[in-house]
Amino acid sequence: MATTLRGLVEDLDRSELNQALDEFGFADLLAEAPRDAVSALFTALGRTGSMSTSLQDVLLQPLAEYLPMATTECNVVLPGVGAAYVGAADSEPLAVRGLVIGARSAPTYLAPVVINGELSWIGLRESSGISTRRVSGLDPALALTEVTGVDVMPDVVVAGEQAVAAWDAVATAGRLALGYQILGAVGQMIDLAVDHARSRVQFGRPIGSFQAVRNRLADAHVAREGAAAALASAWDADDTVLAGLLAKSLAGRAARIAATQCQQVLAGIGFTAEHPFHRFLARALVLDSVLGSATELPAVIGARLISAGMIPRLVEL
Amino acid sequence: MEVREFRAGVQAWIDEVGESLVPAIEDQSVETQLNHQRRVQRLLFDAGWMRWGWPARIGGLGGPPILRAILGEELTSRALVHTTSWSMHEVLGPAVAEFGRPDLVEGIFPLLLRGEEFWCQGFSEPDAGSDLGSMRTTARPGSDCWVINGEKLWTSWAHHATRCVVLARTGGPGSRGVSAFLVDMDTPGVTASPLETMAGVDEFCSTSFVDVEVPSQRLLGELEGGWRVAQFILSCERGPIFWQRGAWLAHHLGLLLDFAGGGGASALGEAYQLLWAFRATSKRTQDRIAVTGDLPGPEASVDKIMVAAADQAVFDLARDLLRGDLETDDSARSQAWRREWAYSRAATIYGGTSEVQKDIVASRLLGLPRRA
Repeated sequence: MATTLRGLVEDLDRSELNQALDEFGFADLLAEAPRDAVSALFTALGRTGSMSTSLQDVLLQPLAEYLPMATTECNVVLPGVGAAYVGAADSEPLAVRGLVIGARSAPTYLAPVVINGELSWIGLRESSGISTRRVSGLDPALALTEVTGVDVMPDVVVAGEQAVAAWDAVATAGRLALGYQILGAVGQMIDLAVDHARSRVQFGRPIGSFQAVRNRLADAHVAREGAAAALASAWDADDTVLAGLLAKSLAGRAARIAATQCQQVLAGIGFTAEHPFHRFLARALVLDSVLGSATELPAVIGARLISAGMIPRLVEL
Repeated sequence: MEVREFRAGVQAWIDEVGESLVPAIEDQSVETQLNHQRRVQRLLFDAGWMRWGWPARIGGLGGPPILRAILGEELTSRALVHTTSWSMHEVLGPAVAEFGRPDLVEGIFPLLLRGEEFWCQGFSEPDAGSDLGSMRTTARPGSDCWVINGEKLWTSWAHHATRCVVLARTGGPGSRGVSAFLVDMDTPGVTASPLETMAGVDEFCSTSFVDVEVPSQRLLGELEGGWRVAQFILSCERGPIFWQRGAWLAHHLGLLLDFAGGGGASALGEAYQLLWAFRATSKRTQDRIAVTGDLPGPEASVDKIMVAAADQAVFDLARDLLRGDLETDDSARSQAWRREWAYSRAATIYGGTSEVQKDIVASRLLGLPRRA
């Protein structure tokens, strides 16, 4: 299964990939074996740099039971970089700003917003007065859409405790999927840098024999392994929200460490447009900034520990 | 004995025995720490918990070795024993059980488990730290014995130990000419001189061996098979011992929760996530050991780098959050923090420096070329 998914992602991109994933039955696999489906597909997406609309499948899955419409009609808007929600206001109408990764052609955008201190999911359509912009940004190949609106009359779709539970589940599912995608890109950065360190000769020997170079790549590897183990353990943790926060934070941390260390090892060639390195760097860093970055999440994690008044073990031997 | 049943049993036992297991904070000397551990070990041995995970022929009750990791975790996560001294039988025990003559092991192992004996590890030397293969201590054949001469360094608790696993050169240069011996510390010619750590603790020693006669049957493993014994011992440091160190760190992080309000959340989250990265990685290692029964390979170097990073992050956090207590307060509590913080400085040094571990990662996991 993982091999098949990897093969599809290696050969195809975008609409062709979406079609192939449909035919493969990715949605069914996601429902039956989410861990296998998410880890295999999103790692492969990160490894290749391909894009699909699969993140929408992942985000919509936990929402489905609360929705009055079919999930195929919807995309999920994630909070903009640095924001906790897509919008927050004390009264209606409200301003919204968020990001859709791998949008599919569907009329409704579902967005988590806070109105009068209460979390709700609202449905946004073109008729709601929103505008959409295809983002080029740091990673033009990432199928990223920005959704904005200034005076939006909210159409509340899910409210109350259900909305909170749905957001926890959606954000956690998204953090895990993005975590795998980030680590796929991190793996690619490390492989490119390792290949370079083995073949590039300076001072009469491969640069990978210099301890300064070796230590940089070892640091990147250790950061990657920690994040990979955190992602794998998150599925079994008794506090899945906390485990998702940790896994995403560690994946973002690994992205930053690998980006810095691998680019330094690749030196001049890694700085060029011609070398593929920069694409993985950009992908990993942009995804780090969505659903909480490695600089933002530790404060969220710490606050959860303080309010719980204990240090959770999360998993047992 | 199932893992879950064992854990529940240990927890219930700790709750039942209760307060008497908690070490006194007033006296933090090594002697008091070891005496406390002796007492706890004796109670655990009599209740059976200390014996699970060890084979019956050496005084154990059988069961998978992972039970020992769970016992260590339950004790250190409540700070009922100190994780450094609790590691000793886990570092040296498996190697002596594996490589020692059966009659010797059967006689002394129950004493180790009961807490009647402490053992120490004579590996490092003044000129052989990371480069252990360059050690100079020698063992020359005598009459039905070996005669050991040399100096060992950083031998933890040597001045309180009954026996020492000593690496000594019986052949040519390099790691191939090395053999391992189990030496009684009361043998004439053995002198353990305590060294103070930067925390003022006389935990480790410089231990000299002058014409020390060791009976032939005290050879561990094959003649000139000492490197294998050493590798086995170093790999034993990677599994249950790291796991219980993680539990010890979690306990200390828990003590800091009350001080983390008012701007400490992010640093607390950072330290916790490093600890979690280590725990998640170490669990993979332990699961692999449990399934395959193999010794940890080069992947365990990753665990070592991670636990050291988490260790220093936790105690750096303590220094920040305790706002000056570590630097200027002289209460018993602050002294304990000072001691733990100081010990964490060595986390990237002992058991193979982080640089050596990174070198192993670079060569064996990433496939980078060593210098030609």
